[in-house]
Amino acid sequence: IRVWWCSKRVIMGDNIMTYNGGCSVAMVGKDCVAIASDRRFGLRQQTLACDNERIFRINDRTFIALNGLGTDVETFIEKLCFRLNLYKFRESRDIAPRTLGSLVSNMLYEKRFGPYFVEPVIAGLEVDKATGAVTPFVTAQDLIGAPCFPGNFVVGGTCSESLYGMCESLWRPDMEPDDLFETVSQALLASLDRDCLSGWGAVVHVITPDSITTKTLKARMD
Amino acid sequence: SHSHRKSVHIIMSRRYDSRTTMFSPEGRLFQVEYAMAAISEAGLCVGILAGDGIVLAGEKKVVSELLDNTGTAEKMYQIDDHIACAVAGITADANILINQTRLVAQRYRYTYQAPMLVEQLIQQICDTKQGYTQYGGLRPFGVSLLYAGWDRHYGFQLMSSDPSGNYAGWKAHSIGAHNQGANSILKQDWHEGMSLEECKKLAVKVMSKTIDSAGLTSEKLEFATVTKPGAKVEFTLMSAAEVDKLLSECELIGEDDD
Repeated sequence: IRVWWCSKRVIMGDNIMTYNGGCSVAMVGKDCVAIASDRRFGLRQQTLACDNERIFRINDRTFIALNGLGTDVETFIEKLCFRLNLYKFRESRDIAPRTLGSLVSNMLYEKRFGPYFVEPVIAGLEVDKATGAVTPFVTAQDLIGAPCFPGNFVVGGTCSESLYGMCESLWRPDMEPDDLFETVSQALLASLDRDCLSGWGAVVHVITPDSITTKTLKARMD
Repeated sequence: SHSHRKSVHIIMSRRYDSRTTMFSPEGRLFQVEYAMAAISEAGLCVGILAGDGIVLAGEKKVVSELLDNTGTAEKMYQIDDHIACAVAGITADANILINQTRLVAQRYRYTYQAPMLVEQLIQQICDTKQGYTQYGGLRPFGVSLLYAGWDRHYGFQLMSSDPSGNYAGWKAHSIGAHNQGANSILKQDWHEGMSLEECKKLAVKVMSKTIDSAGLTSEKLEFATVTKPGAKVEFTLMSAAEVDKLLSECELIGEDDD
């Protein structure tokens, strides 16, 4: 495995997590969540695609975005679908965001010494079956499944430092869906416009108990 | 002397039925036959192929006021997005098989990024069932299954499998208690080109004529359909209210006939 790591470094460069580029962010609002990502897929400095899907809809209440090495994003989502389908048919219900977080963490840690080079960002609405109360939820993990539950926003990807800065300044508690959409969009666009490895537009999903609104944003197309 | 020969025959057959992996002198696998006998005590399941879908109906044997309704069905199970099944037999055995079927379907989906063909899936599960009749010394599964599924090569398919590992494709079929009576009604009344609604009513007719029960209610029946209204295949387990509505529609028609 050590040899493999070394040869990967030769091919992928100094950082396997920035080889393909990309970023995403998720934010908590008032009874809603938003998750957004860019659409670039590249090989170091060269751009290959401008319509890359990084956010995956798990069910009407749960979304996951995967940043990192593109091939691992694809494989990991296929493996995740395997596990999620079994969950769906065995439990006869949709998976909750927090449970998805635990599942993803478990799957990533299984590969502790040869990990998937992905960093997940999960956003969803937890529904209390008894009361019907809706709690927005976001979580992010590192490539070996260490989760964090900040309660306001989570970020991931090549421009994560910029995203941290933007979210820290722009985020306020209890934002309504329209407000949340604006905030997420501004935070994401400002960060990815200055990052050469992310860009070519963005996709934003705003999830409320009644609807999912998806919008595409135009950014610096470079 | 005839009765003496018969009793010797019975004693001899006992020697060959305690091991699943042994043929009897007449070439029978007694354990497989005993498994089928267990299934003939189980609740009836009916499957009918329509032009635009498949109807599955099941008779619930475990009916008690004390039974807690956890929301999971007794007879109907979904295996993958495009395949569902009804079970007749030992529920515990069925749970094992259903779990294996679900894993097989997901492994295929993961490898080929496409849904598994219905017949292929059933073949794999039947291979597992057959293994229990040839090696290991374990008893066969006491379950027969009726599979309803859709794939893009062969459209809607209704298939059944039994403890021996044999499977067959059907236009209409029933398994479980009184299935011969049910099959003869299906043989008379099924015809090509029936719609899903007509098949639902036929299923109700078969259940009502076959099950010895005072009145048919949603408590005793489970109904499910496999359809493809748009791009996706849909498995719909009918709610108790929907089943009651269907039953009352059929009763009205029944009254008109009389």
